[in-house]
Amino acid sequence: MQQIATLLFVLCAGMGLSVEAGLLGPLGEQVGHLSATLSIFLVGGLLLTLAMIFIGRPPLTTLFQQPRWLLTGGLLGPIYVVVLTLTTPIVGVGMTMVGILCGQIGASLIIDHFGLLGSERRAIDGYRLLALVLIFLALWLIY
Amino acid sequence: MILTLVFPLLLLGGAVLAAQSSINGRLGAKVGVLASAWLTFVIGAVLTFLLVFFFEPAHSATLFSVPKWQLTGALFGVVYMLAIVFAVPRVGTAAATVAVISGQLIMSLLVDHFGWLDNDRLPLDPSRIAAIVLLAGALFLIYQSNARRERQTASA
Repeated sequence: MQQIATLLFVLCAGMGLSVEAGLLGPLGEQVGHLSATLSIFLVGGLLLTLAMIFIGRPPLTTLFQQPRWLLTGGLLGPIYVVVLTLTTPIVGVGMTMVGILCGQIGASLIIDHFGLLGSERRAIDGYRLLALVLIFLALWLIY
Repeated sequence: MILTLVFPLLLLGGAVLAAQSSINGRLGAKVGVLASAWLTFVIGAVLTFLLVFFFEPAHSATLFSVPKWQLTGALFGVVYMLAIVFAVPRVGTAAATVAVISGQLIMSLLVDHFGWLDNDRLPLDPSRIAAIVLLAGALFLIYQSNARRERQTASA
């Protein structure tokens, strides 16, 4: 039950992501793609800094005691956006989305299966493979 | 030909997104959702600021001159990051990724259907509705797989 609620919450967050992309596209045309990306990270970073200061007790010591690779999540986001900016003019938005989604779904199953990057191991079973097939069918239907 | 060069790049882009949810989920489980999302955004801001400073060609419009509503995308980004960091340790990277993608596709179908945000109208047709049903099925299958796994651990 709690799992379903969590998944619904994440689903709504994914809907927000589409709205963000819809806003980011036109903005990037006007001010440049890197600047548009910066606006996302800057506004988000500043808002979360305020939240960190005023909500609870910021666990900064614990944060910087973690192994360094655990702190690299922020380096990966801009890579994704740069890939997006490089490839969209060459192959178009539709193809870009299909390629990104293939990489995303494939990698997430591999990460869970082998328990990479500190994730808990969740072996690929028949259910998961079937789910992957359904997703590819859905992508094919849309594009 | 060009596609064979671009496709690996796209796979990398997608794989990087999945790796990021996984790393952040792990970090969030240790230091909390807020601190983990904060670090991601601050590092992202520092990095993109450097990129803008050195590599962005000049544009006539700047972030300070465009209408303010165009800058609200970050709010959705923050909610997404908090949701991912919260969800990954609870449901796994795969289930969280499928949920995000379903949300993304459903919303983009809605935007197309109603022509929101000044987009062209692309009405829902049977193949698009079938795609939504398939996505719901995929989410359900991954949920089933997680639930079965939990039962196994409980009985073991």
